[in-house]
Amino acid sequence: MSSQARLELDRVSKSYWRGPHETTVLKEISLSVYAGECVAVWGQRGSGKTTLLKVAAGLEAPESGVVRFKEQSLVGMSRAGLVRLLREEIGWARRSGPESDELEMLDYVALPLLKQQNMRRARRRSAAALARVGVAGCSKGRWEDLTDGERTLVSIAHAMVRQPSLLVVDDPTANLDVLQREEVMGLLRSTAEQDWLAVLITVPDMPSMVHAHRIGSLSDGRLLVPSGASPERDNVVDFPVRGRAAPGG
Amino acid sequence: MSAKNAVLGLVIERPGYGYDLARRLQARFGSSGFAPTGVYSALDQLSADAMVRSAGPRSNAANERAAPRTIYEATPKGIDHFEEWMLSGSSLAPVRDELYMKIALSRPHNLARLIELARSQEEDCLARMQSLKQPSGGQGGALRAWSEVAVLLVRDAEIKQLEARVEWLQKARAIMQRLNGAQTRCQAQGDRVA
Repeated sequence: MSSQARLELDRVSKSYWRGPHETTVLKEISLSVYAGECVAVWGQRGSGKTTLLKVAAGLEAPESGVVRFKEQSLVGMSRAGLVRLLREEIGWARRSGPESDELEMLDYVALPLLKQQNMRRARRRSAAALARVGVAGCSKGRWEDLTDGERTLVSIAHAMVRQPSLLVVDDPTANLDVLQREEVMGLLRSTAEQDWLAVLITVPDMPSMVHAHRIGSLSDGRLLVPSGASPERDNVVDFPVRGRAAPGG
Repeated sequence: MSAKNAVLGLVIERPGYGYDLARRLQARFGSSGFAPTGVYSALDQLSADAMVRSAGPRSNAANERAAPRTIYEATPKGIDHFEEWMLSGSSLAPVRDELYMKIALSRPHNLARLIELARSQEEDCLARMQSLKQPSGGQGGALRAWSEVAVLLVRDAEIKQLEARVEWLQKARAIMQRLNGAQTRCQAQGDRVA
Protein backbone atom coordinates (compact mmCIF):
# COMPACT_ATOMS: atom_id res chain seq x y z
CA MET A 1 0.00 0.00 0.00
CA SER A 2 1.44 3.34 -1.01
CA SER A 3 1.60 5.97 1.70
CA GLN A 4 1.62 8.75 -0.89
CA ALA A 5 -1.39 11.00 -0.97
CA ARG A 6 -3.52 10.57 -4.06
CA LEU A 7 -4.32 14.27 -3.95
CA GLU A 8 -2.12 16.84 -2.31
CA LEU A 9 -2.57 20.59 -1.99
CA ASP A 10 0.57 22.30 -0.83
CA ARG A 11 0.23 25.94 0.33
CA VAL A 12 -2.34 26.73 -2.32
CA SER A 13 -3.67 30.29 -2.61
CA LYS A 14 -6.36 31.63 -4.89
CA SER A 15 -7.86 35.09 -5.35
CA TYR A 16 -10.67 36.63 -7.35
CA TRP A 17 -11.00 40.16 -8.62
CA ARG A 18 -14.34 41.84 -8.12
CA GLY A 19 -13.99 45.14 -9.90
CA PRO A 20 -10.96 46.88 -8.43
CA HIS A 21 -10.98 44.69 -5.29
CA GLU A 22 -9.02 41.51 -4.93
CA THR A 23 -10.50 38.88 -2.59
CA THR A 24 -8.25 36.09 -1.41
CA VAL A 25 -10.46 33.00 -1.19
CA LEU A 26 -7.82 30.40 -0.31
CA LYS A 27 -4.77 31.30 1.76
CA GLU A 28 -1.93 28.79 1.77
CA ILE A 29 -4.17 25.74 2.06
CA SER A 30 -2.44 22.41 2.58
CA LEU A 31 -4.45 19.20 2.44
CA SER A 32 -3.83 15.59 1.51
CA VAL A 33 -6.42 13.00 0.53
CA TYR A 34 -5.45 9.34 0.44
CA ALA A 35 -6.95 6.38 -1.38
CA GLY A 36 -9.62 4.74 0.75
CA GLU A 37 -10.67 7.80 2.71
CA CYS A 38 -13.39 10.41 2.58
CA VAL A 39 -12.38 13.93 3.61
CA ALA A 40 -15.16 16.45 4.29
CA VAL A 41 -14.68 20.21 4.37
CA TRP A 42 -17.31 22.39 5.98
CA GLY A 43 -17.56 26.14 5.65
CA GLN A 44 -20.14 28.89 5.71
CA ARG A 45 -21.67 30.18 2.50
CA GLY A 46 -19.05 32.06 0.50
CA SER A 47 -16.17 30.58 2.47
CA GLY A 48 -14.46 29.25 -0.69
CA LYS A 49 -15.44 25.56 -0.47
CA THR A 50 -16.36 25.22 -4.14
CA THR A 51 -13.22 27.08 -5.17
CA LEU A 52 -11.21 24.64 -3.07
CA LEU A 53 -12.80 21.70 -4.88
CA LYS A 54 -12.27 23.27 -8.32
CA VAL A 55 -8.61 23.87 -7.58
CA ALA A 56 -8.25 20.34 -6.17
CA ALA A 57 -9.83 18.84 -9.30
CA GLY A 58 -7.68 20.90 -11.68
CA LEU A 59 -10.65 22.90 -12.95
CA GLU A 60 -9.07 26.14 -11.73
CA ALA A 61 -5.40 26.97 -11.32
CA PRO A 62 -4.11 28.41 -8.04
CA GLU A 63 -2.12 31.66 -7.95
CA SER A 64 0.52 30.02 -5.85
CA GLY A 65 1.20 26.64 -4.32
CA VAL A 66 1.12 23.20 -5.86
CA VAL A 67 -1.68 20.72 -6.53
CA ARG A 68 -0.45 17.15 -7.03
CA PHE A 69 -2.52 14.24 -8.23
CA LYS A 70 -0.76 10.89 -7.89
CA GLU A 71 2.45 12.83 -7.26
CA GLN A 72 2.09 14.71 -10.55
CA SER A 73 1.74 18.49 -10.39
CA LEU A 74 -1.38 19.86 -12.06
CA VAL A 75 0.10 23.34 -12.11
CA GLY A 76 1.66 23.84 -15.49
CA MET A 77 0.17 20.63 -16.91
CA SER A 78 -0.89 20.91 -20.55
CA ARG A 79 -4.55 21.45 -21.29
CA ALA A 80 -4.70 18.08 -23.01
CA GLY A 81 -3.20 16.42 -19.94
CA LEU A 82 -5.71 18.08 -17.66
CA VAL A 83 -8.60 17.09 -19.92
CA ARG A 84 -7.37 13.47 -19.88
CA LEU A 85 -7.16 13.53 -16.08
CA LEU A 86 -10.65 14.95 -15.75
CA ARG A 87 -11.97 12.39 -18.19
CA GLU A 88 -10.27 9.32 -16.80
CA GLU A 89 -9.05 9.86 -13.27
CA ILE A 90 -11.11 12.53 -11.55
CA GLY A 91 -14.84 12.18 -11.08
CA TRP A 92 -16.62 15.48 -10.51
CA ALA A 93 -20.21 15.00 -9.40
CA ARG A 94 -22.30 17.65 -11.15
CA ARG A 95 -25.46 18.69 -9.38
CA SER A 96 -27.04 20.24 -12.43
CA GLY A 97 -28.06 17.03 -14.18
CA PRO A 98 -28.28 16.43 -17.94
CA GLU A 99 -28.67 19.20 -20.47
CA SER A 100 -31.65 17.45 -22.03
CA ASP A 101 -34.80 16.90 -19.99
CA GLU A 102 -35.68 13.88 -22.12
CA LEU A 103 -32.64 11.80 -21.22
CA GLU A 104 -33.30 8.75 -19.06
CA MET A 105 -30.91 8.34 -16.15
CA LEU A 106 -29.51 5.08 -17.54
CA ASP A 107 -28.31 6.96 -20.62
CA TYR A 108 -27.24 10.05 -18.67
CA VAL A 109 -24.93 8.00 -16.45
CA ALA A 110 -23.69 6.08 -19.54
CA LEU A 111 -22.72 9.30 -21.39
CA PRO A 112 -19.16 9.63 -19.99
CA LEU A 113 -18.35 6.15 -21.34
CA LEU A 114 -19.49 6.63 -24.90
CA LYS A 115 -16.13 7.71 -26.31
CA GLN A 116 -14.61 4.44 -25.12
CA GLN A 117 -17.42 1.92 -25.40
CA ASN A 118 -20.48 1.13 -27.44
CA MET A 119 -23.91 2.02 -26.10
CA ARG A 120 -24.79 -1.50 -25.00
CA ARG A 121 -21.68 -1.86 -22.83
CA ALA A 122 -21.96 1.70 -21.56
CA ARG A 123 -25.54 1.08 -20.48
CA ARG A 124 -24.54 -2.11 -18.70
CA ARG A 125 -21.90 -0.25 -16.69
CA SER A 126 -24.33 2.60 -16.12
CA ALA A 127 -26.87 0.15 -14.68
CA ALA A 128 -24.17 -1.26 -12.39
CA ALA A 129 -23.18 2.26 -11.24
CA LEU A 130 -26.81 3.17 -10.50
CA ALA A 131 -27.27 -0.07 -8.57
CA ARG A 132 -24.01 0.55 -6.69
CA VAL A 133 -25.34 3.83 -5.29
CA GLY A 134 -28.76 2.36 -4.56
CA VAL A 135 -30.91 4.00 -7.25
CA ALA A 136 -31.29 1.20 -9.79
CA GLY A 137 -35.00 2.01 -9.79
CA CYS A 138 -34.29 5.45 -11.31
CA SER A 139 -32.70 4.15 -14.51
CA LYS A 140 -35.82 4.80 -16.60
CA GLY A 141 -36.62 8.04 -14.80
CA ARG A 142 -35.89 11.56 -15.95
CA TRP A 143 -34.03 14.20 -13.93
CA GLU A 144 -37.12 16.27 -13.23
CA ASP A 145 -38.90 13.22 -11.79
CA LEU A 146 -36.22 12.53 -9.18
CA THR A 147 -36.15 13.63 -5.55
CA ASP A 148 -33.19 15.68 -4.29
CA GLY A 149 -31.74 12.57 -2.68
CA GLU A 150 -32.05 10.55 -5.89
CA ARG A 151 -30.48 13.37 -7.92
CA THR A 152 -27.50 13.40 -5.60
CA LEU A 153 -27.06 9.65 -5.90
CA VAL A 154 -27.44 9.70 -9.69
CA SER A 155 -24.83 12.50 -9.86
CA ILE A 156 -22.45 10.36 -7.85
CA ALA A 157 -23.10 7.39 -10.16
CA HIS A 158 -22.44 9.69 -13.16
CA ALA A 159 -19.11 10.75 -11.65
CA MET A 160 -18.13 7.20 -10.68
CA VAL A 161 -19.10 5.31 -13.82
CA ARG A 162 -15.58 5.67 -15.28
CA GLN A 163 -14.11 4.35 -12.03
CA PRO A 164 -12.00 7.43 -11.25
CA SER A 165 -9.21 7.53 -8.66
CA LEU A 166 -10.51 10.71 -7.07
CA LEU A 167 -14.15 11.57 -6.51
CA VAL A 168 -14.98 15.22 -5.86
CA VAL A 169 -18.47 16.19 -4.73
CA ASP A 170 -19.71 19.69 -3.95
CA ASP A 171 -22.28 19.76 -1.12
CA PRO A 172 -23.77 16.28 -1.72
CA THR A 173 -26.05 16.62 1.29
CA ALA A 174 -27.58 20.01 0.40
CA ASN A 175 -31.39 19.95 0.66
CA LEU A 176 -31.48 16.40 2.00
CA ASP A 177 -33.31 15.32 5.13
CA VAL A 178 -31.53 13.53 7.95
CA LEU A 179 -32.11 10.01 6.66
CA GLN A 180 -31.23 10.84 3.04
CA ARG A 181 -28.10 12.59 4.30
CA GLU A 182 -27.06 9.52 6.29
CA GLU A 183 -27.59 7.36 3.23
CA VAL A 184 -25.49 9.58 0.95
CA MET A 185 -22.69 10.07 3.45
CA GLY A 186 -22.64 6.37 4.33
CA LEU A 187 -22.37 5.61 0.62
CA LEU A 188 -19.47 8.03 0.10
CA ARG A 189 -17.58 6.56 3.03
CA SER A 190 -18.14 2.96 1.99
CA THR A 191 -17.31 3.79 -1.64
CA ALA A 192 -13.99 5.28 -0.56
CA GLU A 193 -13.18 2.19 1.48
CA GLN A 194 -14.45 -0.54 -0.82
CA ASP A 195 -13.49 0.98 -4.19
CA TRP A 196 -10.20 2.33 -2.86
CA LEU A 197 -11.14 5.83 -3.95
CA ALA A 198 -9.95 9.14 -2.58
CA VAL A 199 -13.08 11.18 -1.89
CA LEU A 200 -13.05 14.92 -1.27
CA ILE A 201 -16.36 16.61 -0.54
CA THR A 202 -17.71 19.84 0.83
CA VAL A 203 -20.68 19.80 3.17
CA PRO A 204 -23.22 22.52 3.97
CA ASP A 205 -23.61 21.52 7.61
CA MET A 206 -21.59 19.84 10.29
CA PRO A 207 -23.80 16.78 10.92
CA SER A 208 -22.88 15.69 7.38
CA MET A 209 -19.26 15.30 8.47
CA VAL A 210 -19.81 12.47 10.92
CA HIS A 211 -19.26 9.73 8.35
CA ALA A 212 -16.08 11.27 6.92
CA HIS A 213 -12.72 9.82 7.88
CA ARG A 214 -11.28 13.30 8.33
CA ILE A 215 -12.85 16.74 8.54
CA GLY A 216 -11.80 20.35 8.13
CA SER A 217 -13.33 23.79 8.43
CA LEU A 218 -12.73 26.58 5.91
CA SER A 219 -13.04 30.16 7.04
CA ASP A 220 -11.30 33.39 6.16
CA GLY A 221 -9.50 31.49 3.41
CA ARG A 222 -7.78 29.15 5.83
CA LEU A 223 -8.41 25.47 6.44
CA LEU A 224 -8.60 24.38 10.03
CA VAL A 225 -8.09 20.67 10.66
CA PRO A 226 -8.74 19.54 14.23
CA SER A 227 -5.67 18.52 16.16
CA GLY A 228 -5.39 14.75 16.34
CA ALA A 229 -6.67 14.55 12.78
CA SER A 230 -3.33 14.85 11.07
CA PRO A 231 -3.39 14.11 7.36
CA GLU A 232 -0.67 11.52 7.91
CA ARG A 233 -1.81 8.18 6.53
CA ASP A 234 -1.48 6.32 9.82
CA ASN A 235 -3.96 8.57 11.55
CA VAL A 236 -6.88 7.85 9.26
CA VAL A 237 -9.50 6.14 11.36
CA ASP A 238 -11.23 2.86 10.57
CA PHE A 239 -8.45 1.52 8.42
CA PRO A 240 -7.37 -0.74 6.77
CA VAL A 241 -10.17 -1.45 4.38
CA ARG A 242 -12.07 -4.64 4.90
CA GLY A 243 -13.02 -7.05 2.20
CA ARG A 244 -10.96 -5.74 -0.69
CA ALA A 245 -7.31 -5.84 -1.51
CA ALA A 246 -5.85 -2.42 -2.13
CA PRO A 247 -4.59 -1.93 -5.63
CA GLY A 248 -1.15 -0.41 -5.85
CA GLY A 249 -0.78 3.35 -6.30
CA MET B 1 -30.65 19.94 33.57
CA SER B 2 -29.80 17.11 35.95
CA ALA B 3 -29.28 13.54 34.82
CA LYS B 4 -32.22 12.42 36.98
CA ASN B 5 -34.87 12.11 34.28
CA ALA B 6 -32.40 10.73 31.77
CA VAL B 7 -31.33 7.98 34.20
CA LEU B 8 -34.94 7.28 35.08
CA GLY B 9 -35.78 6.91 31.38
CA LEU B 10 -32.91 4.47 30.89
CA VAL B 11 -33.98 2.38 33.92
CA ILE B 12 -37.54 2.24 32.54
CA GLU B 13 -36.18 1.06 29.21
CA ARG B 14 -34.17 -1.67 30.89
CA PRO B 15 -33.13 -2.24 34.53
CA GLY B 16 -29.40 -1.82 35.08
CA TYR B 17 -26.61 -1.21 37.57
CA GLY B 18 -24.70 2.04 38.03
CA TYR B 19 -21.81 1.51 35.64
CA ASP B 20 -24.08 0.01 32.99
CA LEU B 21 -26.35 3.06 33.21
CA ALA B 22 -23.36 5.44 33.01
CA ARG B 23 -22.23 3.70 29.82
CA ARG B 24 -25.71 3.81 28.33
CA LEU B 25 -26.06 7.50 29.25
CA GLN B 26 -22.79 8.26 27.46
CA ALA B 27 -23.79 6.22 24.40
CA ARG B 28 -27.19 7.90 24.18
CA PHE B 29 -26.27 11.51 24.90
CA GLY B 30 -22.59 11.72 23.96
CA SER B 31 -20.88 14.76 25.37
CA SER B 32 -24.08 16.54 26.41
CA GLY B 33 -22.57 17.42 29.74
CA PHE B 34 -23.66 14.46 31.87
CA ALA B 35 -20.69 13.40 33.98
CA PRO B 36 -20.60 9.60 34.46
CA THR B 37 -20.54 10.12 38.22
CA GLY B 38 -23.81 12.03 37.92
CA VAL B 39 -25.52 8.67 37.41
CA TYR B 40 -24.81 7.61 40.98
CA SER B 41 -26.16 10.80 42.57
CA ALA B 42 -29.17 10.58 40.24
CA LEU B 43 -29.79 6.97 41.40
CA ASP B 44 -29.48 8.07 45.07
CA GLN B 45 -31.99 10.84 44.45
CA LEU B 46 -34.37 8.58 42.54
CA SER B 47 -34.15 5.93 45.28
CA ALA B 48 -34.85 8.55 47.99
CA ASP B 49 -37.90 9.69 45.98
CA ALA B 50 -39.02 6.04 45.60
CA MET B 51 -38.89 6.28 41.82
CA VAL B 52 -36.42 3.42 41.45
CA ARG B 53 -35.75 0.47 43.71
CA SER B 54 -33.29 -2.35 43.94
CA ALA B 55 -34.30 -5.37 41.91
CA GLY B 56 -31.87 -7.37 44.02
CA PRO B 57 -28.10 -7.74 43.76
CA ARG B 58 -26.59 -9.64 40.87
CA SER B 59 -23.17 -11.23 41.10
CA ASN B 60 -20.49 -10.03 38.75
CA ALA B 61 -20.00 -12.91 36.32
CA ALA B 62 -16.66 -11.54 35.14
CA ASN B 63 -15.22 -11.40 38.64
CA GLU B 64 -16.72 -13.72 41.26
CA ARG B 65 -14.83 -12.09 44.12
CA ALA B 66 -16.13 -8.61 43.31
CA ALA B 67 -19.03 -7.20 45.32
CA PRO B 68 -22.45 -7.97 43.80
CA ARG B 69 -23.97 -5.15 41.76
CA THR B 70 -27.27 -3.53 42.62
CA ILE B 71 -29.67 -3.69 39.72
CA TYR B 72 -32.13 -0.79 39.65
CA GLU B 73 -35.65 -0.97 38.29
CA ALA B 74 -38.34 1.69 38.02
CA THR B 75 -41.27 1.85 40.45
CA PRO B 76 -44.82 2.71 39.30
CA LYS B 77 -44.28 6.15 40.85
CA GLY B 78 -41.11 6.54 38.79
CA ILE B 79 -42.93 5.55 35.60
CA ASP B 80 -45.72 8.05 36.33
CA HIS B 81 -43.16 10.78 37.01
CA PHE B 82 -41.34 10.02 33.75
CA GLU B 83 -44.57 10.18 31.72
CA GLU B 84 -45.41 13.53 33.37
CA TRP B 85 -41.94 14.81 32.53
CA MET B 86 -42.42 13.71 28.90
CA LEU B 87 -45.64 15.75 28.72
CA SER B 88 -44.22 18.84 30.43
CA GLY B 89 -42.64 21.75 28.53
CA SER B 90 -38.90 21.92 27.82
CA SER B 91 -37.02 25.13 28.62
CA LEU B 92 -34.17 26.53 26.60
CA ALA B 93 -30.78 26.13 28.25
CA PRO B 94 -29.49 29.42 29.67
CA VAL B 95 -26.55 30.94 27.81
CA ARG B 96 -23.75 31.19 30.33
CA ASP B 97 -20.37 30.96 28.76
CA GLU B 98 -16.95 32.05 29.92
CA LEU B 99 -15.84 33.31 26.51
CA TYR B 100 -19.03 35.40 26.17
CA MET B 101 -18.33 36.94 29.56
CA LYS B 102 -14.70 37.63 28.65
CA ILE B 103 -15.73 39.35 25.40
CA ALA B 104 -18.44 41.36 27.17
CA LEU B 105 -15.97 42.58 29.78
CA SER B 106 -12.90 42.91 27.56
CA ARG B 107 -11.01 46.06 26.60
CA PRO B 108 -9.25 46.79 23.30
CA HIS B 109 -5.89 45.55 24.55
CA ASN B 110 -7.48 42.10 25.16
CA LEU B 111 -8.42 41.66 21.49
CA ALA B 112 -5.31 39.77 20.41
CA ARG B 113 -5.77 37.19 23.17
CA LEU B 114 -9.51 36.87 22.50
CA ILE B 115 -8.80 36.17 18.82
CA GLU B 116 -6.51 33.34 19.89
CA LEU B 117 -9.13 32.04 22.31
CA ALA B 118 -11.79 32.06 19.60
CA ARG B 119 -9.49 30.14 17.26
CA SER B 120 -8.67 27.65 19.98
CA GLN B 121 -12.36 27.10 20.79
CA GLU B 122 -13.08 26.57 17.11
CA GLU B 123 -10.42 23.84 17.07
CA ASP B 124 -11.97 22.31 20.19
CA CYS B 125 -15.40 22.25 18.53
CA LEU B 126 -13.98 20.50 15.46
CA ALA B 127 -12.05 18.05 17.61
CA ARG B 128 -15.26 17.20 19.46
CA MET B 129 -17.00 16.88 16.12
CA GLN B 130 -14.25 14.56 14.91
CA SER B 131 -14.59 12.43 18.03
CA LEU B 132 -18.29 11.79 17.45
CA LYS B 133 -18.74 8.37 15.97
CA GLN B 134 -21.16 7.56 13.24
CA PRO B 135 -24.26 5.93 14.64
CA SER B 136 -24.74 2.24 14.26
CA GLY B 137 -27.50 1.06 12.04
CA GLY B 138 -28.59 0.43 8.52
CA GLN B 139 -27.20 1.95 5.40
CA GLY B 140 -28.24 2.17 1.82
CA GLY B 141 -31.80 3.25 2.39
CA ALA B 142 -32.78 0.53 4.85
CA LEU B 143 -35.58 1.61 7.13
CA ARG B 144 -34.26 2.46 10.56
CA ALA B 145 -35.78 1.56 13.87
CA TRP B 146 -37.11 4.58 15.75
CA SER B 147 -34.49 4.07 18.47
CA GLU B 148 -31.75 4.56 15.85
CA VAL B 149 -33.44 7.62 14.37
CA ALA B 150 -33.88 9.09 17.86
CA VAL B 151 -30.15 8.73 18.58
CA LEU B 152 -29.45 10.31 15.19
CA LEU B 153 -31.67 13.30 15.93
CA VAL B 154 -30.09 13.88 19.34
CA ARG B 155 -26.60 13.61 17.86
CA ASP B 156 -27.65 16.09 15.15
CA ALA B 157 -28.84 18.52 17.81
CA GLU B 158 -25.50 18.28 19.56
CA ILE B 159 -23.57 18.80 16.32
CA LYS B 160 -25.82 21.69 15.28
CA GLN B 161 -24.94 23.40 18.55
CA LEU B 162 -21.26 22.93 17.71
CA GLU B 163 -21.89 24.27 14.22
CA ALA B 164 -23.68 27.36 15.53
CA ARG B 165 -20.82 27.87 17.96
CA VAL B 166 -18.19 27.59 15.21
CA GLU B 167 -20.14 29.97 12.95
CA TRP B 168 -20.33 32.51 15.76
CA LEU B 169 -16.65 32.05 16.64
CA GLN B 170 -15.64 32.62 13.01
CA LYS B 171 -17.72 35.77 12.72
CA ALA B 172 -16.56 37.09 16.09
CA ARG B 173 -12.95 36.34 15.21
CA ALA B 174 -13.24 38.13 11.84
CA ILE B 175 -14.65 41.26 13.52
CA MET B 176 -12.08 41.18 16.30
CA GLN B 177 -9.27 40.77 13.74
CA ARG B 178 -10.55 43.75 11.77
CA LEU B 179 -10.79 45.95 14.88
CA ASN B 180 -7.45 44.74 16.18
CA GLY B 181 -5.86 45.58 12.82
CA ALA B 182 -7.43 49.03 12.87
CA GLN B 183 -6.24 49.53 16.44
CA THR B 184 -2.71 48.49 15.55
CA ARG B 185 -2.69 50.91 12.62
CA CYS B 186 -3.97 53.75 14.82
CA GLN B 187 -1.33 53.04 17.43
CA ALA B 188 1.30 53.06 14.72
CA GLN B 189 0.10 56.54 13.77
CA GLY B 190 0.33 57.63 17.37
CA ASP B 191 -3.42 57.93 17.90
CA ARG B 192 -5.25 56.69 20.92
CA VAL B 193 -8.05 54.18 20.46
CA ALA B 194 -10.83 54.69 22.87
